[in-house]
Amino acid sequence: MKYNVLNYLLGEGIRSVFKNKKSTAVALMTMCATMFIFGIFFAATQNINSFVDTIKNEQAIQVNIKRTANDEEVAKLKEEIEKIDGVATVTLRTKEEFLESLKEQFKEKAYLLEDYEKNNIFSNAYIVTFSNLEEIEGIQAQVGKLENVSSTKDANKSVNVLLNVARGIKFITIGLLALLIIISVVIISNTIKLTVYARRKEISIMKYVGATNNFIRFPFVIEGIIIGVISGALTLLLVGGAYNLLMSQMMNSTTLQSMGLELVRFSDMFSLLVTVYLILGIGIGILGSTRSMKKYLEV
Amino acid sequence: MIEFRDVNKTYSTGTKAVKNANFTIDKGEFAFLVGSSGSGKSTLIKLILKEEEPTSGSIIINGKDTTFLKQKKIPFLRRSMGVVFQDFRLLPDKTVYENVAFAMYVVGATPKHIRRQVPMVLSLVGLSAKAKMYPNELSGGEQQRVALARALVNNPSMLIADEPTGNLDPNTAWEIMTLLNDINLRGTTIVVATHAKEIVDQMKKRVIQIQKGEIIRDDKKGGYNCEV
Repeated sequence: MKYNVLNYLLGEGIRSVFKNKKSTAVALMTMCATMFIFGIFFAATQNINSFVDTIKNEQAIQVNIKRTANDEEVAKLKEEIEKIDGVATVTLRTKEEFLESLKEQFKEKAYLLEDYEKNNIFSNAYIVTFSNLEEIEGIQAQVGKLENVSSTKDANKSVNVLLNVARGIKFITIGLLALLIIISVVIISNTIKLTVYARRKEISIMKYVGATNNFIRFPFVIEGIIIGVISGALTLLLVGGAYNLLMSQMMNSTTLQSMGLELVRFSDMFSLLVTVYLILGIGIGILGSTRSMKKYLEV
Repeated sequence: MIEFRDVNKTYSTGTKAVKNANFTIDKGEFAFLVGSSGSGKSTLIKLILKEEEPTSGSIIINGKDTTFLKQKKIPFLRRSMGVVFQDFRLLPDKTVYENVAFAMYVVGATPKHIRRQVPMVLSLVGLSAKAKMYPNELSGGEQQRVALARALVNNPSMLIADEPTGNLDPNTAWEIMTLLNDINLRGTTIVVATHAKEIVDQMKKRVIQIQKGEIIRDDKKGGYNCEV
């Protein structure tokens, strides 16, 4: 498309946004509201994902090795465990190390453990961590069946609850996203329908002098994109403000601190959120405007 | 230039608007389409403009069969013809100059070309002095001149006018018709659908008369109601 034509069309689109202030405002507000709700859930998903990541690194099962196993068999067992899908690391923890850690836990009553120094009844074990938390149970069962494994001990059952919550929130976010897209497309198309209706005469003249459909559509698509991008930017400010406020309130939360969890900083999810809002704004703008034009282009 | 071959048009309501129309309008001709309201004149115009599709038959424009023309190609067909209507259809918030320039923007003309072409067409229709006025500041005849300028600005090979004088008093109507005649003398094919009996009678141009969808008369130099 030639530069001057593009210029003309861009100008028409921008002019229209400011010409129909009321309907533009309504579209902006509604889109902001829906995008805001989405933003909140988006932030929640980001945090839960980060929690899951933190906890994932702490999740491990203890695989007790049969006492009868010789050094060679112990080494072979390690290789076997490492081969299983979803296993991240396998580290040996000797019975002596385990006794030491017990002593630390017993503190001043550590003398109770003195007998075990001579006769260590504990067994050597492998500590296994995972790259995918959702497969812990399967991997544990698999490891249990291996030769020279006496028993396995899992770490923390509560991770399953967290995983379920994370999954739930993810579904809600996706559902909201779909809903947001539908609502916004309808709103934008209605806004643009008003503009199109007001300019139907102009459109029919354009058709008679031989304007292509794309030429007629372009200013309206620009209008839609402008509304979409402005609402995206506004919402970004709103979500950012609300999130930072919430974060400053929760910084001192003892529950989070005791679990060793930290909230994701808004700046860390900024670029992703900007991308999502930009794609949403532009996509909804294009979809909404082309949808509302259909009827008037069939001349 | 414009050729109808066994064209029929039946609307989805069942109305048979055009029945078995056959005629050819050659390059450089001036033809009147006459007939009472509801006779099918407007449908003929719409068929030429490809606003409506014929139910059967074919329409050839500038040597090309437009019957199976793709939707996407229609704008380019329309660029070869200028159109004016009874109600002028000017944009009220644009000046005379802008209304005419608009038609050039739409087809992607360069600003340089627009600056040269628009004053030329405005002088052709005698409106050079009113370029900066808005349509509501003009008389009906002047508004129709603007519409004519807009239709001509892209140098179409034919001009289609649907009741161009329907909203004008007889004197102004004559002015417009004289203008159309001048344009025709410059080589543009002209098709005018009209009710204006006196004008048709006096201009002695080709007359195609349509009644209840059928072409009942096609005179090379006829009047509105010549006996067959």
